Amino acid sequence: MPLIECENLVKQFDGKPVLRGIDLVLNEGQVKVIMGPSGCGKSTLLRCLNLLDPPTSGRILFRGEDITRPGVDVRRLRQSIGFVFQHFALYRHLTVQENVTLGLRKIRKMGSRMAREKAVCELERVGMYEHRDKYPAQLSGGQKQRAAIVRALAMDPAVLFLDEPTSSLDPEMSREVVSVINKLFLDNVTMFCVTHDAFLAKYISDSVVFLDGGAVLAEDVAERLFYDHPDPRIRQFFLGVIDMR
Amino acid sequence: MSFWDILAVLAAGAGITLLLSVACMAAALAVGLAVALLSRSRWAPVQRLLVGFTFVFRGIPVLVLLFLVFFGLPGLGLRVPPFLSLVLTLGLVSGAYLAEIFRGAMNAVNREEVLAAEAAGMTRAQGFTYILLPQMFRFSIPGMINEFTAILKYTPFAYTVGIPEIMKRAMSLTPVILRGLEVYLAVGIVYYLIYKACVVIFSALEKRFRIPGLSAQER
Amino acid sequence: MNVLIHDLIAYAPQILAGLENTLLLAAIVSLTGFCGGIVVFSLTLSRSRLCRSITEGYISFFIGTPLLVHLFLMYYGLPELGLRISPLAAAAVGFTLNISAYNARHLMTAYRGLDRMELEAARAAGFTEPETFRLIVLPQALRLAVPALTNQATQNLKDTSVAFLIQYKEFFSQVQEVAATNFEFFRAYLFTGLVYLALVALIVVAARRLERRIALPGFSA
Repeated sequence: MPLIECENLVKQFDGKPVLRGIDLVLNEGQVKVIMGPSGCGKSTLLRCLNLLDPPTSGRILFRGEDITRPGVDVRRLRQSIGFVFQHFALYRHLTVQENVTLGLRKIRKMGSRMAREKAVCELERVGMYEHRDKYPAQLSGGQKQRAAIVRALAMDPAVLFLDEPTSSLDPEMSREVVSVINKLFLDNVTMFCVTHDAFLAKYISDSVVFLDGGAVLAEDVAERLFYDHPDPRIRQFFLGVIDMR
Repeated sequence: MSFWDILAVLAAGAGITLLLSVACMAAALAVGLAVALLSRSRWAPVQRLLVGFTFVFRGIPVLVLLFLVFFGLPGLGLRVPPFLSLVLTLGLVSGAYLAEIFRGAMNAVNREEVLAAEAAGMTRAQGFTYILLPQMFRFSIPGMINEFTAILKYTPFAYTVGIPEIMKRAMSLTPVILRGLEVYLAVGIVYYLIYKACVVIFSALEKRFRIPGLSAQER
Repeated sequence: MNVLIHDLIAYAPQILAGLENTLLLAAIVSLTGFCGGIVVFSLTLSRSRLCRSITEGYISFFIGTPLLVHLFLMYYGLPELGLRISPLAAAAVGFTLNISAYNARHLMTAYRGLDRMELEAARAAGFTEPETFRLIVLPQALRLAVPALTNQATQNLKDTSVAFLIQYKEFFSQVQEVAATNFEFFRAYLFTGLVYLALVALIVVAARRLERRIALPGFSA
């Protein structure tokens, strides 16, 4: 069953087109990875889908409901979409646990005890329980990203958006985060992930979307897209990305 | 009259000095916050107004503004009591300085954290209250300590409008005992003790609520 | 309004003399305070622990107490030691002690922002301590402290208005005397404020020029 569908999605910044008519479907329980050269519009696509950047034209359906028409409850929509940022965006003045409970208390209006119990449970799931009282500045990059993932997951979103979750991590920490995301993949969490990281793409995706110049060039399972795609542009791209690993 | 007696007389005025300082700090905080918040507005007339406000109240001498309020406004039919005059004056002047401190601190807050709060479904007001404001305050602490002690050091102007604080007591003591050197040395000591106490208390509070990665030194 | 303008013209010589006194005091104490600040700053770097703690005590006391106290100490205190001095001299001494402390602290803050390696290199190259201070430490600390030092100059100008409380015939006091004859206090103080704002604006513009002129590539405060 489709969770998110977008039809002919266009986004322009000051008249400059970044997305030129994207058609995509994300089904429940599915994990889609979006790849493509820098500046191809990957991150903009994610931000359009949860209306952080409102699209210029086109339709986005969330559970069949058009969320681009006026009068949509943007906040309710965003509560169903967990968002993980490249640079973690953890609240630096709060501990790991408080980072998780703030949304539960202020957005989901949970009591502080219930929020705490929920946070502890989620933190255990990704092995961050022992770090719950640390502040972001006291964590390694991998721990920060795990904390950010927990913060998003604790809100019980229908889908998790990941924007370059491993790009600002060194290889070792990156593996640590990939294994957490892989676990979510195996748990059937619906995910939309933008990345440069072929390793991540391979281990967590049902299919990979290749985006170039603001348009979808190809969509296929990772293996086929990476190793023997007829389009030379795509072969060229993945040759570079995979060789670098 | 021994030096200790002089100190005792002056110390009796210290309560009023402290009360004045706290009232002025509260006023300055309110003005500074209001100006800093308003300056987030992108509306050009508001921006220009605030630039003007900051220039005027950072540029005018405190004593001149105090006299304008206390001795000048009655000429327009507006009588402002002494205590309020000083609170108004220092509230505006220090508020203008604090606004600059708050503005700088707000720019030090990572925009992406506020964005993350909104992406999770918080309203703009919630993102502001729970993310931006608490971090801004932490970055502002050194500047706030500076500004608050500046307020303390401006309070002796209160004697010019007849408030019986430390300096006023010293001035009425001098012609009686004719030992200005000792009296004003004692005034200096009393102020210095209050200043030191303020700095110690503020620093202890800062340390108590310090968060790794968020103190102004690490900015 | 007309009354005030009329009186301002009538009393122009007195008011201009006041303005001259204000500028004179501000210029004197900005200069002495600048030099004093450098001397005090150099003392904080002294090898002798006693010298350092005395200097730091001096800075702490003068930053921790109101300017008005320093002025009263000089004006009412010094005569008791047999030193009879004019209001200008009392103000100049009081202000200098006050401003030197603040300027020394500005320089200390700038010094903490300096590159330690460079200082080590200077010492390793065989410069003596005074040479290192004069040729390396001071020029760089001064450059880094320019915004703080020019802010201090603006502050000095505004603070000279306090000198009227020790009977120095500066601008503010002269306008007040005029106001006392016609009771136009509000307008008189408004006029005073505007004149100060104009002077402050001049200093700010000059300070910007100075900052641009002495800016080095890759070296900013």
